[in-house]
Amino acid sequence: MYRACIDIGGTFTDCLILDTQGSLRAFKVPSTPRDPAAGMLNGLAVAARGYNKKPDDFLRQIDLIVHGSTLATNALLTGRGAKVAMLTTKGFRDVTEIRRGYRNVRTSMFNLFIPPYKPLVPRRLRFPIEERTLYTGEIVTPLNDGEVRQAIGKIKEAGVEAIAICFLHSYANKANEDRAAAICREMADGLYVTSSYQVLPIWREYERFSTTVVSATIGPIASRYLNRLGDSLKQQGFKGSLLMVQANGLVETPQESIRRAVYLLGSGPSAAPSAAAYCGRITGKDHLISIDMGGTSLDVSLIRKGEIPMTTECWVGDERVAIKMVDVHSAGAGGGSIAWVDSLGLLRVGPQSAGAEPGPACYGKGGEDPTVTDADLLLGYIPADYFLGGEISLDVDLARKAVQKVADRLRLDLLQAAQAIHTTVNSFMADSITEISTKRGYDVRDFALIAGGGAGPIHGPALAERLGISTVIIPRFAALYSAFGMFAMDIGRDYARSYHSRVDRVSLEQVNRLYDEMELEAQAAMKSLKMPKGEVNLARTAELRYVGQFHEVEVPMAAGKLTEHHVKEAVAKFHKRHQELYTFSMNFRAVEFLNFRLKATARKAAFQLEKIAQGKKKPEGSLKRRRTCIFNGKSFNTPVYDGERIRAGNVIRGPAIIEEQATTVVVPPAFECSADRFKSYILRKRK
Amino acid sequence: MAVCRVNPLTLSTVWHALQSICREMRHVVDRTSQNYLIAQLHDVSVGIWDARARTVAIPIGLSVQYLGGKLSVEYVLNKFKGNLNPGDMILVNDPYKGYCCHLPDWGFYRPIFYRGELLFFTMVRAHQMDTGGAYPGGYFPNAYDIHAEGLCIPGIKVMEGDREREDVMELILNNVRWPQGVRIDNYAQIAATRVCEQRVTALLDKYGKETVLACLEEMMDRTERAVRATIEKIPDGTYYGEAATDDDGTELDVPVWVRCEIAVKGDTLTVDFSKSDKQRKGFVNCVFNTTFSNALSALFMFMDPGLGEYHNEGSLRPITVSAPPGSVVNAQYPATVGASPVSMGHQIIESVVMAMSQAMPERAVACWGKRYEHYFFGLDPRTNEKYVVTTFDIAGGAGAVRGFDGYEGAISIGALGEVNRGNVEEVEARFPWRSLRWEFATDTCGAGVWRGASGFHWEVENVGGDAGMATGSSDGELVRAPGALGGEPTPNSKAFLIRGSDTSQIRAHRLYEVKSGDVIRKISGGGAGVGNPAERDPEKVRWDVINEFIGIDKARDTYHVVIDPASLDVDIEKTSMLRSSQGKA
Repeated sequence: MYRACIDIGGTFTDCLILDTQGSLRAFKVPSTPRDPAAGMLNGLAVAARGYNKKPDDFLRQIDLIVHGSTLATNALLTGRGAKVAMLTTKGFRDVTEIRRGYRNVRTSMFNLFIPPYKPLVPRRLRFPIEERTLYTGEIVTPLNDGEVRQAIGKIKEAGVEAIAICFLHSYANKANEDRAAAICREMADGLYVTSSYQVLPIWREYERFSTTVVSATIGPIASRYLNRLGDSLKQQGFKGSLLMVQANGLVETPQESIRRAVYLLGSGPSAAPSAAAYCGRITGKDHLISIDMGGTSLDVSLIRKGEIPMTTECWVGDERVAIKMVDVHSAGAGGGSIAWVDSLGLLRVGPQSAGAEPGPACYGKGGEDPTVTDADLLLGYIPADYFLGGEISLDVDLARKAVQKVADRLRLDLLQAAQAIHTTVNSFMADSITEISTKRGYDVRDFALIAGGGAGPIHGPALAERLGISTVIIPRFAALYSAFGMFAMDIGRDYARSYHSRVDRVSLEQVNRLYDEMELEAQAAMKSLKMPKGEVNLARTAELRYVGQFHEVEVPMAAGKLTEHHVKEAVAKFHKRHQELYTFSMNFRAVEFLNFRLKATARKAAFQLEKIAQGKKKPEGSLKRRRTCIFNGKSFNTPVYDGERIRAGNVIRGPAIIEEQATTVVVPPAFECSADRFKSYILRKRK
Repeated sequence: MAVCRVNPLTLSTVWHALQSICREMRHVVDRTSQNYLIAQLHDVSVGIWDARARTVAIPIGLSVQYLGGKLSVEYVLNKFKGNLNPGDMILVNDPYKGYCCHLPDWGFYRPIFYRGELLFFTMVRAHQMDTGGAYPGGYFPNAYDIHAEGLCIPGIKVMEGDREREDVMELILNNVRWPQGVRIDNYAQIAATRVCEQRVTALLDKYGKETVLACLEEMMDRTERAVRATIEKIPDGTYYGEAATDDDGTELDVPVWVRCEIAVKGDTLTVDFSKSDKQRKGFVNCVFNTTFSNALSALFMFMDPGLGEYHNEGSLRPITVSAPPGSVVNAQYPATVGASPVSMGHQIIESVVMAMSQAMPERAVACWGKRYEHYFFGLDPRTNEKYVVTTFDIAGGAGAVRGFDGYEGAISIGALGEVNRGNVEEVEARFPWRSLRWEFATDTCGAGVWRGASGFHWEVENVGGDAGMATGSSDGELVRAPGALGGEPTPNSKAFLIRGSDTSQIRAHRLYEVKSGDVIRKISGGGAGVGNPAERDPEKVRWDVINEFIGIDKARDTYHVVIDPASLDVDIEKTSMLRSSQGKA
């Protein structure tokens, strides 16, 4: 039997197959954005050929497909989501357009010349419904069924595909939302219906409503895609399970992915930190910075003590998404990022990208702007004749012509300009990393850098040098980084409940009831995912804050029946964490609980990377050629090694280049690179 | 372009790092403070200055709290000359001695030393939930003088060697309501300055003092050149703007005027406020810092948007702001200043925006919805504890700019969207008030080719005990702020107190008693428009009618677009007749 992890990105569909012997093989095919399912089937067909099998035979032998797709993110970012209507509490129909007054999400306060935010649901499709619940859960105004029915009538006329039900304080009592949802299902069969309690049962209506509307915008698209994909796979003989990568770093069934579609955001990139954590485990590092540098963007995340970082403060495009997601910070820096000179005379790189079409100037597809890849080519880092294993041949003259434009404006010579582009993008990436690490108070120098994505192994080492990081790990499947991460992901689901109470007045009965409730739900869900009870791991956390504060700090909670002792323990952890995060704690101040969370996970069957043959310290027989490379403005006659011939234990002193089929590893002069038995490259700063 | 004294890459890194540090400081305050106004609504500003009080980084905040921060830093430097040490923490809120704006805005200043040498200053200023004085909240009219408005703190050290001077803090906190809460917010601010010190020190370690200081010079020179280049493009001449507040809270219903003349000559620009009204008895007086900061903020709106986060001392060099002492825009001790961030403070911005929109019509800006908030204070029967609460929920949205409609929901021409509105769920759980309605109100946006954002219908019920209400932080019942290029000014706002079957109008700049069960209803005016509304695209008007931003009557009377009430389609024939007859008239 085989297992497949398939990551559909904007340019390529990455396909990693694991066989029964535990060895992995990689396949890369072009994506087919118009019909992503076709690209996926094509990828599987190519893989089948790789194993000398007919596609349907091969599919029959796959028992699990884990799938990540940028479908949801793209639909949201390009405004191609479904048409949504809202049912919302009368008197409050503009919550998602007022959006708490946020204007400067991605711009300076002094920039007034921006178009106003365009809400996903226009005002005319936000239908006010008479109903009202209080923060205590008390219903002061029952749902007016007649108004719901009237609204649905209008919604059907308007050609809407999805309904989002968003009532005030529904986190405290979902009865009115549930009743409205029942009426919708009865009257508007075929429409996608969701409610704010179902998506995110947490207080603060703007954040909850916005997330719910996003979920409804994605829902019908996810539903169409996943149903079609499921059908096609079945038709071609697939009998195994299909699981989708979720924003929260877990995998889920297509059915649940459709129900809470917002969790499909970041499906793909959210797998990368799992790849990093896995590499960290096999190399013995647990403080990691993971970078995934592709053609247009850089995804960064910071992993501490082997734990994947999570956030509830995300903006996706112009939308606030408040579910707990893997904290992957995206920035516009990739191989295709365009270099330009701004009005202050500063060299900038990105966020504009040449993308796949026309691509960097050196692709020769009509691109004229200088990009990071053009600079890398001129610096000698990437081979003109072996880019993507020779699939694309690069034109050095075109790269020269493009980079010269920036050189002229900066009054630098060509190679200085190429060096400047390379360094600027690294420095921009370094800023992105500093932002997510310093915000949490961590010193980047205590971390190892894991460099994935097509361009990651080229820039990772220089980036590390800049940040003072002494170890860089380049995973064997760096170029299929997210797909690789999918093998390392857990199956599971997470849960949350709001219960606001001071720790000295908290009802333990209530807390125990909430955890019991979530655990029962989790057990049932895991059963439906065919996970044996014994293998399910239930991790509890609680969010606490000082009375009066507005933001919480999350701490772990004990399992089982909770007692006063456990509450005290949680409070002690809270004080400590507050001190770590913000330089002070306040023992004199009362503390309160806000949210209780549960994460239910099960490990997929373990897999072992195939080992490579052991070699000597000297990389004998793998020297391919030599070429001139520029490092920090100096030319070096640099040895170039063939990655296919590298053996475990080989040690390569920088400066050196290792050409892999899907990427190039750059070893700067200050580093020494060794290959381990799983063929990770580990670069260490030379003493 | 002059030869760069530092490596351009280092320059870029240092420049961005200083901005990131400011954002991180604000993040720390956000995560740890307990005051609704600071943590949720973001009434907080931060910045970095150098040892000569020159502005280094000012990417985010409320203009009056930080843009003129150099004046305040200069004061601290002079006052503590020879007596500044690492780990000192200085607290200032005095508008007269310390160049602050009004008393609730407490600034915490930290000198940053590197290897024994003072190199930088950082400051975090935030609006406290209380600062003593006759009423909670700091926006009450009719105070006898500034001392009646609250505790007036000149520069004092509240920490030395990073240790709290407990007797000093006790004296201060003993004189405010909710001392425990204020203490937490103070710690949050102090923590943010400490984070700044750590980050700036790391930057100096990395690049060395000489390089970082050379970067500062280069940063300032570059922004100076960019700002001069913008001014240079404006035709030389004098441009006039004016705006008024409803009244000064003491002498009622008499508008108070700020008038500015902007003189552009070559690459320099002078803002002269000498034609403004005299200093008042009431609480709308602005100290020079307020005038200076707001004039700068208004001018920055007209600079290259790419400069937004990069402004520093260099931006200030080509600009002169003058306001005669004794005027309402340069009030002298002991005049009251409580309402000045809003009433008069916003008008300073409005007058400059009006003048600049004539100077640079291609970048015309219309004024934003006027602040129409208030403070409630009383007893919460659920906890038997006193509370005070204010909000940014009510003021209408942004004004239009040439090319775009106003940004719906965005608030405050003084903060340009850097402050936030709240959540009903948060407010109801925290305070004994129940929301009855909060949504856009039809026909509250200033008309134009590009229209302003909408105002609101906001209504709440007092479910706690009897309470007080200070309407000092509101304006715009009598006066309207200008649109641009023929756009409509900001529509007026109005408010009501509903007790049983009685509805009575309540007014800005007053104090009211609110009984249990009373309902407060406010209808605010939105942002102003840009361009003649009769030239707005009829299709846009139609969508505004469908979405109930604009009523059918207003569409016809102001926009000259006739909409069929049944089909909601544009009646093309009647519209073109109406528009052409208006054109001839």
